[in-house]
Amino acid sequence: MIYDEPKFLPGGDRFIEMELGDELNFDLNFLVHSLSAKIREAEIAGLIELLPNMASIVISYDPDLISFADLKSEILSHYRNMGSLEDMELLSPIYYIPVLYCDHVTRACWEDYCAKITEKEYDSDILVQLNDLDGYAQLARIHSGTEYWVAALGFYPGLASLIALDPRCRLTAPKYNPPRTWTAKGTIGYGGSVTCVYPANTPGGYQMIGHTPVPVCDIEQSLPAFKQDLALLRPGDRVRFFPVGREEYDYIESRVTAGDYVHNVAHYAKFSIRAYHEWLGTLDMKERF
Amino acid sequence: MALNIDVIKAGLETSVQDFPGRYGFWEQGFPPSGPFDMWSFRLANILVGNAPEAAGLECQFMGPTLKFSDDCVIAFTGAEMNATLDGETFPMWESVAVAAGQTLACGFASVGARAYLAVSGGIEVPQVLGARATFHMAGVGGLEGHALKDGQSIAVNGGAGVPGRKVKQDCRPKIANGKQWQIEVVQGPNDDWIAEEGIERFLESEWKLQARSNRTGYRLEGPEWIFADKASNKGPEHGEHPSNILDHGYPVGSINLCGQTPIILVNDAPSAGGFINPFTVPSAAFWKLAQSKPNDIYRFNRVSVEEAQEMRRGIDGLCVEDSIE
Repeated sequence: MIYDEPKFLPGGDRFIEMELGDELNFDLNFLVHSLSAKIREAEIAGLIELLPNMASIVISYDPDLISFADLKSEILSHYRNMGSLEDMELLSPIYYIPVLYCDHVTRACWEDYCAKITEKEYDSDILVQLNDLDGYAQLARIHSGTEYWVAALGFYPGLASLIALDPRCRLTAPKYNPPRTWTAKGTIGYGGSVTCVYPANTPGGYQMIGHTPVPVCDIEQSLPAFKQDLALLRPGDRVRFFPVGREEYDYIESRVTAGDYVHNVAHYAKFSIRAYHEWLGTLDMKERF
Repeated sequence: MALNIDVIKAGLETSVQDFPGRYGFWEQGFPPSGPFDMWSFRLANILVGNAPEAAGLECQFMGPTLKFSDDCVIAFTGAEMNATLDGETFPMWESVAVAAGQTLACGFASVGARAYLAVSGGIEVPQVLGARATFHMAGVGGLEGHALKDGQSIAVNGGAGVPGRKVKQDCRPKIANGKQWQIEVVQGPNDDWIAEEGIERFLESEWKLQARSNRTGYRLEGPEWIFADKASNKGPEHGEHPSNILDHGYPVGSINLCGQTPIILVNDAPSAGGFINPFTVPSAAFWKLAQSKPNDIYRFNRVSVEEAQEMRRGIDGLCVEDSIE
C-alpha cells in the first residue's frame, strides 16, 4: 500500500530513509520518482543526494547545514504539495537498445555454467515454458513489445531494474541457483518480473535471453553518450528493446568498438500517469503479441 | 619539475583516495569511496599544507615502498606501519622533508590497520565523476581505476610543505591494539523488523569481525537475530527470508542483515539491495572500523541521531590547522 503518512527513518548521522509505501507497484514507484524530481528542483540547502528505489528514497544530508527535523518537514511539504497522482507528468527519455535474442554470447556463458557448475535447462527454454509461449520468436516479440520503466538503479554501477509498462508483456523467470560466477557485459537478463542489461562482466542470477553490443555503462567514457555520466540510465527513464539479426548486431558492435556509436534516445519524451492509466483501461489482457 | 613517486612495492592494498570521495552519482550505483578513516586522512593533508580534501594514499594492513623523484614534504598518519626512510625510522603524525631519490618503506601495520600518506601538493590523477577516489570494484578513479601495482608511477602536483609540523597528541584518533572496540550505532532505519529481544541481544553481544571484510563491507559473527512478526508476515515482493525487504537504498554505514549475517556497509558498498538495515554506524565511528583488524571484537553502543551528529562535529573540529603544533 501507499502510506497515508510517509515514514522518515534515520540512517545514522547523515541519512534518512523515506518510505512511501511497502509494495511493488508502478504508481508508488512513479510517486517516488516524481517526488525525487520535485526535491531536486527545490535545491534544499544541506541535501546532498537522493537514492530513489521501488517504494522509498534514501536521502543523504549534511547535518551541519540542516537538521533531521527540518529536512523532514521540508520534504513533507513538497510531498503534500504534489497534487494528485493522476496529474503528474515526468520527463522520461526513451533509450532504444538493440538485442540479438538467443545469441552466441549468452549461449556460451550458459554452456560454461553447465560444464563447470551444474547442468541446467537453456534459459530461453525456461522462459518459453514458464510463460506458455510458442517459441523463441514469441519470447523476442514479447520482450521487445513494450517500453520498460527504470524503477531503480543500484547494486552495481549502472545496473537498472526495468519493469514492463505493458502488462501483456510481463514475463516471469526464476533465478539461477547457485548464481553464475560471471555474466558477459551486455547480457539481457530476466529474473522475477524484472529485466536488466548487465553493465559489466559481473556475477549474476537472472536468466539470459539475449545480448546487446550497446554499453549501458562505460568506465572509459569512450562513447559520446558517456561524456557526462558513466551510466546511461537514471530512475524514471524508459528503455525499448528492438530485435536485430546477427549482421546488424555485428555492425553495431563495430561502431561501438570504433568509439563512434551514437545511442538512440528520445530525450523529449514525457510520461503522463493519467494517459498511462487511460491506456491500461483499454487493453485486452488476453491478447498476446 | 614534476614530482613522481615510483611504486617499488605496492603493499597489500594501497589506493588513491580524496575526501569526501565521489558524490552525485550514488543513484547510478557509484558509492562515495574516499578514505575509510577520514580523521587520519585529513590530518595528513593538513600537516603537509594541503587542503584536507586533497588526494593521498590509503595503505591497508601492509604499506607500500615508494621512491620519490624530487624533494617534497610528506606525512604519514593512522596505523603504525613501522615506516623507514632510507633505512631510518620515519616518524608518524609529523611532516617530513624527503629528498630526491629517497625511498620510504612500510611494513605490516602493528597498531591499527590503515595508514594515510599525504604529499605536499596532493596526488594528481584524473578526476572521474568529480573525484580522484578509487572505486576498485568497477575500476573507477584512482590510478587506472585500481589499487597501486608494483612498477607504477604516481604524479604529484607541485606544492611547498613545511617539515617539522606535528599533530597535537590529543587531536589524533586513539588507535590502540586492544582488539576490543566500542562502536556507536544509531537505531534504524529498519529496526522495526527486529523483535525487541533481538534489539537488546544485538546491543548486549560481542561481534567478531570476520576475515572476509573489506572496503565494501565488514562481516560480523555473533548470535542469532530474532525477527519481529512483520519480517515474516509481508507481501511476496519483499522476498522469502525474514531479512529480505523490497529493494531499497542502503545508507553508508548501515548494518545490512543478509540472512543471519550482519554486514556493515562501508565506503565502497552497493547502493541498494533487498536486505534490511536495522542499525547504522555513524560517520564519527568509521575511523574505528578502518583501524580494526579481522577477529577484533565489537560491542555496539546506541546513540541518538543528534549525539552522532555532535560526535561528527567534534571530529571535524579536530581536522583543522589548530590541531598542529
